[in-house]
Parts: sequence; structure tokens; C-alpha cells
Amino acid sequence: MKIEGRFIFPASIQPVWELLIDPQSLQACTPGCKSLSEIGNDEFEATLEIGVGPIKGTFGGKILMREKNPPFSYSLVVEGSGAVGFVRGEGKLTLEQSEDDKTAVLVAGDAQVGGLIAGVGQRLLEGVAKQMMGQFFRCLQSQLGTRLAKSAG
Amino acid sequence: MATTRTIKLRVNGADYEGTAEVRKTLVDFLREDLGLTGTNVGCEHGVCGACTILMNGETVRSCIMLAAQADGAELMTVEGLAKPSGELHPIQEAFREKHGLQCGFCTPGFLMTTYELLSKHPDADEEEIKEWLSGHLCRCTGYQDILESVKLAASRLRNS
Amino acid sequence: MKPARFEYYDPRNLQEALEILHAHPDDGKILAGGQSLMPLLNMRLARPKIIVDINRIEGLNYVKATGTGVAIGANARQRALQTERLIGERLVVLREAGSFIAHPQICSRGTICGSLAHADPAAELPALAVALDAELVATGPNAARAIPAGGFFQSYFTTALQPDEILTEARFPAPPEDMAWSILEVSRRHGDFALVGIVAGLAVERERPVINRARLVYFGVGATPMRVNAAEALLIGQAPGEDAFDAAAQVAGQEIDPSNDIHATAEYRRAVAATLTRRALRAAMEKLKAN
Repeated sequence: MKIEGRFIFPASIQPVWELLIDPQSLQACTPGCKSLSEIGNDEFEATLEIGVGPIKGTFGGKILMREKNPPFSYSLVVEGSGAVGFVRGEGKLTLEQSEDDKTAVLVAGDAQVGGLIAGVGQRLLEGVAKQMMGQFFRCLQSQLGTRLAKSAG
Repeated sequence: MATTRTIKLRVNGADYEGTAEVRKTLVDFLREDLGLTGTNVGCEHGVCGACTILMNGETVRSCIMLAAQADGAELMTVEGLAKPSGELHPIQEAFREKHGLQCGFCTPGFLMTTYELLSKHPDADEEEIKEWLSGHLCRCTGYQDILESVKLAASRLRNS
Repeated sequence: MKPARFEYYDPRNLQEALEILHAHPDDGKILAGGQSLMPLLNMRLARPKIIVDINRIEGLNYVKATGTGVAIGANARQRALQTERLIGERLVVLREAGSFIAHPQICSRGTICGSLAHADPAAELPALAVALDAELVATGPNAARAIPAGGFFQSYFTTALQPDEILTEARFPAPPEDMAWSILEVSRRHGDFALVGIVAGLAVERERPVINRARLVYFGVGATPMRVNAAEALLIGQAPGEDAFDAAAQVAGQEIDPSNDIHATAEYRRAVAATLTRRALRAAMEKLKAN
């Protein structure tokens, strides 16, 4: 399924870039991320416990950052599998600063979901994926707010 | 905290008792603990209807009930339709005559729903019959013969 | 496909059920009808450590009159919508929803409050609760609170209920006497989950043919039931008829934000939502004319 989104950050491009490639903000904002550890160059191992309502599953997998073109774009690859199924997503994040010190982050990508959740939860996958992406970026937006406040104060 | 429960219930007029894990479903309890294998296990999530039985006079999906929930209940399964002599219930007879089954896997579920339907709505028309049967899947027959079987059973029961 | 292990409680009174839930804030789940929870347990998509079965609590299985409305208790089965006289008299649209909700074999066990607490985005009862301004009573260990339906459904399978609260009652006020209601749904097969559904309400002034009340709530088109105020506003003050209904239908199709899946595309859902809007408004209008 397609993954698409556009999220505005109230800062210039550089601090937004730094936020997006920071493993700490990734861990804080990835829904259900229980652990994230660097295992190589821009490669992380992660455990995610995600779900909606009573439906929950644990996924173990990898997050990779590729094709880094600072501060303009990079690709994120997320792979995870667990008892309830597997997920593989790849998305390109592109940063565009607009005149008034705002940076838009455009997300364009694809995700495949398989296994039990895909079979049973087909009708919900896209909606839930959109929702999780929204959660992820709203969290990053508030992380940016905290960072800017710290550096200002 | 006990992981098992003792369950006492009445099935097809006879009293039964068994002890099962709390997570055991009613259909598994009927089949494995009580030896009543007429009820079948299909999808295990309430969609196909193969597990349908009567509980306190209403059709229920026994695959999505816990055995513990049937403690004290009165159940009817497909084994309760025919007489002890082996004489078929009119609904079963109608299914036989109108070829309302092939492999027979879905049939016990259809029979139990037909039983409740015709007990409560003996004059059910085709629309109402279809409405009630819509909760059952059959991979063999294409449903037409099942519909004819139920109509025949309805008319026989009305005239008896 | 068997459930993972859990501890099972079937208390005889509400207070005990609440205490057990409260003692296990992250691990407990209420089992009422079980028609939504048991499939999740069987497939191990949900693995609560504690199951609190409320079926044996006396006094929770009721459909009773409250003033001019109806109050439905936690253990009232979905079949009650067909059999209880009060529903036919005061909230007939709930009766009409019956065959859309589920097959008879599911409705004999499934509860009305359970469907509301489960909050499946394609379910009919949450949309009806929103359309009819129901209040959902959440009972916790120390207090009970009445939550308006508009704020109760928060996301996929997520409501305003706290982990230690039980939905003990759904209160439906009597809708305005001059309003007629229609519920429609499209699914691939009768009894399947809704691809798109609508609950529509309409009222017209006594003296002249002008719409003065409209309610349009959609289900299956987002994370929760969706009320489209913009489409409702378009109807108010208009003459009831194809022009007004069509305008509302177009706006509704644009306002909703459905997803794609293998059953239907977002585009299809928008188109169907618009069509159902026209049909539901026509159906409501026919009922008004008949009265």
C-alpha cells in the first residue's frame, strides 16, 4: 500500500534534518518502540509492540537509513516480523524549506504487510498505517519544539 | 487461580459434566470432552457457521464461546435431532430428500439454524429463510438445494 | 487457532468485576457477548492475561424506558433490538439496523454495549449512537460517568473508556418526534462488514416543505463513525428533494476520508457514500410523507 504524507515543522531545514536522523527521536516517536540499538552504519535493530485497541503484536526487526543527502532527503527502510505477521516499508523523506523558516517533510513510500494481520485486518491496514505515520510525525514535531525551546533558553 | 473449570450442562436432554481449561472453547469441549463430534470446527472465528448449536433455545456459535460459559446451560446439538431409534427428524429427512448436503461438513450448523427458525417462525417465507441461513457457508451445494430442503421441512412441520 | 492462556473470572456482581479490572490495568479485558473478542483470542491477535466475564452479573440485561428514551444494559443482546417492544416504539431505526449488525447466530450472544465498547469502524451501533446522540455510561471502581457518543469513539477499536471502566449502559434519548430515520449499508455479501454505511435523519417544517433538521453519520469510512456537519448544513432551509439531497451527497463524498483496501478503493467508497446519502434521505422523506 502507498504511504504518503506532508508534515510541516516550524524551523529551518538543518535542525529538522538533525531531528529526523537522530536515533533518539526515532526511538521516542516510533509507535510502540520498546528498543532501538545501532548495529551498524545507519542500521538499527528494533523491537516494536504495536496495535490498535485490544489487537496487539510484537515485531522484531530493522530500521535502515539509506541514500542520505543531507539536509535534503534520505530513505528509511523498516522491516519487522512477529507472530501476527510481517511488515516491510520503504519511504523517501524529502525536506523542503519554505521562505518563512518552515520546513515541509514529504513522505512517499510503500509498505507490504503480510501474515495474519494482513489477512484478517485487511480493511484497516491503510487507515492504521496513516494514523501511525501521523502519530510519528506529530511526536517529532513536539520533539522539535522541545529542542528549540532548550537551545533558546 | 485455577486454570480449569468443572462444567455441568445438559445436552440433548442428558446431563454431562467435564473439567476443562478455562480457555477451551465450547465446540472443543463438546467434541473432545463429551464425545459429541457431530458439531464441526470450521473457521474458528464465527463466520462459517459449522459450529452452530442451540443454547437455551437460541442458535449460537460454539467456536466463539468458552466452555465455562455453558455451565448450567441447556444445549442442543445435531445429535439431538434424530430419535434414539435412529428415525430422522423431519428437517434431516427433508435435507436427505432434497439433496441439501454433499460432504456434510456445514450441515449440522444448517440443521440447527433451521431448527430454531422453524420453531419460532413456522411460516417463514423465502426471504426470511435466506436471512437466517445467510450466517452459514457451504462449499459444495451452491445453496439452492439447502433452500429447497428448508422449504420442504417447513411445509412438512406445518402440516404435521 | 486456540486462545493463549489467561486467568478467567466470572463474578456475580459488578463491584467485583470492577475491582478485578482495576487490579490489572493493562492486562484485563471484559468478555460479554464475545462475538468480537473471542475471534481475536482464537487467532491470538489479542492476548489479555485476565478475562472478566460479565455474563453472570445479575441486573445488566435490560432494555428499559427512561423518560421518553431507552436505556440498554451491558448484557442486553443484539437480538433484543428485534424483540423488545420499546425499541419498535421509540427507536425503530435500531430495529431496522438488526439484519445489518450481524447474523442471527451472532446476535443471540453479541451485546449492544459490547459492540459500542469494541468500536469497530465498520460497525452500525457506534454510528447509530452518534446519530441519535446517545450517552454511554462508563462505570469505574469509584464512580460512573455519562459520555456523549460524539466524544466516545476516538479511533480504531479505541473509545474513551479507561482500562478499569466498564460500559454498563447505553442511553438513547427519544429522537425529535418529527424526525424520520434511515440506515443503509453496502457490503460484498449480506452480513459482511460494511464497506460504507449511513445513518440519516430528516425533519421538515410543519407549515411548509422546508428541511429544518438533518443528521448524516457515516461508518466504514474512517477510524470512527463520521458525522458530516457540512452536508447537514446544506440541507437545512432547503426544500426536500433531489436537488438538496444531491448537493448534500456530493459534499459528503468529498468530506469523508476513506482508505483503500482489497475490498474497495477510497474512490469507490466516496462514490457509494454519495449514493447512499441520496437513497437514505429519500427513504427518510418517504417515511415523513407516510406519517
